Amino acid sequence: MAIDQVHDLQYVYRKLLHSMSRPGTISSIKEPMIRMDYQITCNESLLLSALALLDGEVTFHILSDERPELIEKITEYTSAKYAPIQEADFIIVFHDDHEEAVQRAMKQCKVGSLIDPQQSSTWIIETSILQNEGNVLLKGPGIQSEMALQTGFSSTLWQARNERTKEFPMGFDMIFVDHESQIACVPRTTEVAQKEVG
Amino acid sequence: MKAKTHFAFFDEGSKKEIRRATLKAVAIPGYQVPFASREMPIARGWGTGGLQLTLSLIGKTDVLKVIDQGSDESVNAVSIKKLVQDTTGVQLTERTEEADIIQSRHRIPESELTKNQILVLQVPLPEPLRPIEAREYKTKRMHAEDDYSGAWLLLFEQIMKYGKTATTADHPVSVKDRYVMAPSPIPRFDNPKMDHSEALILLGAGREKKIYAVPPYTSVKSLAFDDYPFTVESFEGAHCHLCGTADVFMDELIDHDTGTTIYQCNDTAHCMDQLNKQEEVEVESIYV
Repeated sequence: MAIDQVHDLQYVYRKLLHSMSRPGTISSIKEPMIRMDYQITCNESLLLSALALLDGEVTFHILSDERPELIEKITEYTSAKYAPIQEADFIIVFHDDHEEAVQRAMKQCKVGSLIDPQQSSTWIIETSILQNEGNVLLKGPGIQSEMALQTGFSSTLWQARNERTKEFPMGFDMIFVDHESQIACVPRTTEVAQKEVG
Repeated sequence: MKAKTHFAFFDEGSKKEIRRATLKAVAIPGYQVPFASREMPIARGWGTGGLQLTLSLIGKTDVLKVIDQGSDESVNAVSIKKLVQDTTGVQLTERTEEADIIQSRHRIPESELTKNQILVLQVPLPEPLRPIEAREYKTKRMHAEDDYSGAWLLLFEQIMKYGKTATTADHPVSVKDRYVMAPSPIPRFDNPKMDHSEALILLGAGREKKIYAVPPYTSVKSLAFDDYPFTVESFEGAHCHLCGTADVFMDELIDHDTGTTIYQCNDTAHCMDQLNKQEEVEVESIYV
């Protein structure tokens, strides 16, 4: 049985919206996952999140060079076009992608302009862990006081992200997806600080 | 021939486009994200922005409430409700606390909203700088440069002319100390409800093709001067002639029999709720 393009994707979108408006809040998209039967060599929750947002009007980029078959599959399923990192509306990152490559991509990706900050990229990132604990603290709109979030991102990557989002309203927004079909978001407005290891 | 409409009226491509714009709006609080506003079966300027947001959000299990200036039963609310229900089959409610999505024209309900609710506001004029600058090209640059002297000047001129800020509704707010935003024509009374709201607030302007948002727990300050602080409409000494509640936004009416001024809750669902509670107490006291 295939996923329902209308209702399952609506379900995923609402979870995405919930997590995007409450940065760090973990939502589960497990319910429609049982119907996923795409023959694809990547995390299916990641694909499901991409299916909810991508269509023929947007472009995407996959960081890894080792997955040419995925580009073809995503184009087939969503009609979205593949584009270089500087132009892509959505950037898909896998957990085995090299840290240097991710860091480089953060420097190159679209962050919008002061006049049109919405012309920025959205990152969909596969992660091996997603928990509300650890030493990364989130603050900002959508968060009552502060929120801990562990994503498997190193401090170097968070630094690179902070560097690229410091000129609000410019910046990029991130959607993290783990193997348990959990999602959490960190939009550009979120201040990410790292607790001192004491 | 009558074709069966797709779930939630829209084709999936339209929904996705609105959804992407909404996520961007949430990520940039107060910024008006342009979107390709669709042709709707109601006229532009009559809630098409709110309606499009609602249709992009709604799922089979959602419970919907639609109000028009506090009333669940006025024309705009009823026709929007009917359209959404005919195309989705969702459950409707008038009780604020039962709703998952609340679409509203020009009011924020009196009962406090919760974190599992989404408030969708219909916006006729999303650009707070439009009265001082007609060109979108210019206003976009003003927002980019954080140049809101025009918005302040408008308020200043009102003080010069009337001795106070004379905005009856749609009093401009500053979101997260960055974007100045039109909160839609809600009374000033409702402006403070936007500040650090528990619920996500989405605003849609169909005719002007803009979507913007206020995420939960976000600072929303009404523009005001130090010596002319922001004030809300005062209903001091007034109470609803039906349920007796004070401290809510009220409509001023004339009692035709006596010719005196009477007040009535503007939020009909809240008024009904109060009346039901009073009745419950009354019934309980009789049958002990």
